[in-house]
Amino acid sequence: MKTPRPLVPVPPVAGRTLDAQLHLLDRQVLDNDGVPVTTVDDLELSPPGSGPEIPEGTPAPVITALLTGPILGTRIFGGRPPSSRLIRIPWKDVADVGVVVRLGVSGQNLDADWVERWIRDKIIARIPGGSRDPR
Amino acid sequence: MKRILGVALGILTAIGGFVDIGDLVTNAVVGSRFGLSLIWVVGVGVAGICIFANMSGRVAAASGRATFEVIRERLGPRAGLANLSASFFINLMTVTAELGGIALALQLATSVHYLLLIPVAVVAVWLVIWRVKFSIMENVTGLLGLALIVFVVALFLLKPDWGSLAGQALAPAVPDEETGAAYWYFAIALFGAAMTPYEVFFFSSGAVEEGWTIKDLIQSRINVLVGFPLGGLLSVAIAACAAVVLLPAGIAVTSISQVILPVAEGAGKLGLAFVLVGLVAATFGAALETTLSSGYTLAQFFGWSWGKFRRPAQAARFHLSMIICLLIGVAVLSTGVDPVLITEYSVVFSAVALPLTYLPILIVANDPQYMGGHVNGRGVNVLAMIYLVVILAASLAAIPLMIVTGAGS
Repeated sequence: MKTPRPLVPVPPVAGRTLDAQLHLLDRQVLDNDGVPVTTVDDLELSPPGSGPEIPEGTPAPVITALLTGPILGTRIFGGRPPSSRLIRIPWKDVADVGVVVRLGVSGQNLDADWVERWIRDKIIARIPGGSRDPR
Repeated sequence: MKRILGVALGILTAIGGFVDIGDLVTNAVVGSRFGLSLIWVVGVGVAGICIFANMSGRVAAASGRATFEVIRERLGPRAGLANLSASFFINLMTVTAELGGIALALQLATSVHYLLLIPVAVVAVWLVIWRVKFSIMENVTGLLGLALIVFVVALFLLKPDWGSLAGQALAPAVPDEETGAAYWYFAIALFGAAMTPYEVFFFSSGAVEEGWTIKDLIQSRINVLVGFPLGGLLSVAIAACAAVVLLPAGIAVTSISQVILPVAEGAGKLGLAFVLVGLVAATFGAALETTLSSGYTLAQFFGWSWGKFRRPAQAARFHLSMIICLLIGVAVLSTGVDPVLITEYSVVFSAVALPLTYLPILIVANDPQYMGGHVNGRGVNVLAMIYLVVILAASLAAIPLMIVTGAGS
């Protein structure tokens, strides 16, 4: 068996370094109005190459999307859902990463919010007073 | 002037809101069996809840993050889910106990069987959660809960032998007819009743609900550091009343009517009227807080939109989950299981789950990324670490003691 070559040191990067585990995973996601959308349940990375062998000089994978939904179950209990079952929030919609992840778009149109919208439209909004402002 | 009024109101509601069904039942049971020999535990518990409630309020004000968001972030999904399951289960048990407590308190006032009053109680709780503004909810139940001060009044009117009460409290000893294991079992129950985790979930989420910023921290600190100890004094008065009237008579408390018996004896009909108002207000207020806490913990773990400051339609899953919790509570109660028994178990299980809540708060309160310049000072950390050891010991000892003592019987 071939011993793996030692990894090339991480190249210096401009700007802030984010630790995916520490700064992204399990962080609250807010939309552009500050309304909670979900929690970052997992991350989707771009594939580093097509085959099992990764040729030298392949660009490093980048984060393509924040994942949510049933993927949380697989992070707790293991396994991997088919790609078609993932609920994605594209990385380009992310506006800021702090103690929360802020999106630059409204949560109203995101797939990630469909359960919330369904429960709102089918149940909560039908109970009298459900749409009244408590303040 | 407005500021002073605000502080006074905050302190009064903190006192009135401190006592819930767990404190009422546990303190009366302990008073009726052990006199004041366990009262030191109330002091230890109140000091603990002051430290950690204050800390979670500061985390919420500095970072805008409530407790369970922080727990998930720090523990990850797996340990976070285990924590959520335990906390949520105990919270649900407390919701059930409080709902039963409202019904039992109303039964004392109306003589209608409590099972018939449970639907009234649960609909009232839900309507308040559905429609009433957060601050009004807090202030009204807190102020009405102050009626429980009648326990203090009754204690004075009973003209007890203060010397012997002080002796019991200052030189704690296990009474002859009780075992050491039962003594320590009830010590843990009292500790769990005083430090119930839902108070921390509620306190930190309430800080977000009311939009606290760092500027409001002084007021919240005064509320906690003055209000909670005075609320703890109410707990002590409940135990002392039971110690004066029920202990010599050989009555071990098993029902709510026995909890208020000393008030009737000491303060008469007027006292009884006050204690009934206080009882309903305290259990009702706590039912609101625990139901909201169920919603808060779930929503914060999964990242749903939550909060009473939003229209229900803008926090749909949050409101639906609370409706389901209330329905589960009603379902459990309608089996006819004794709410007092549920209460006694819920405070002990609370003690078991304490480290799950308090450790992550302590970790985040030291994280400058969240807290900026408002991280814990060294003194607070030392105290909190000491408490963590106590909490851990209580948590580990609770279940073995429950088995050994047959749940204290």
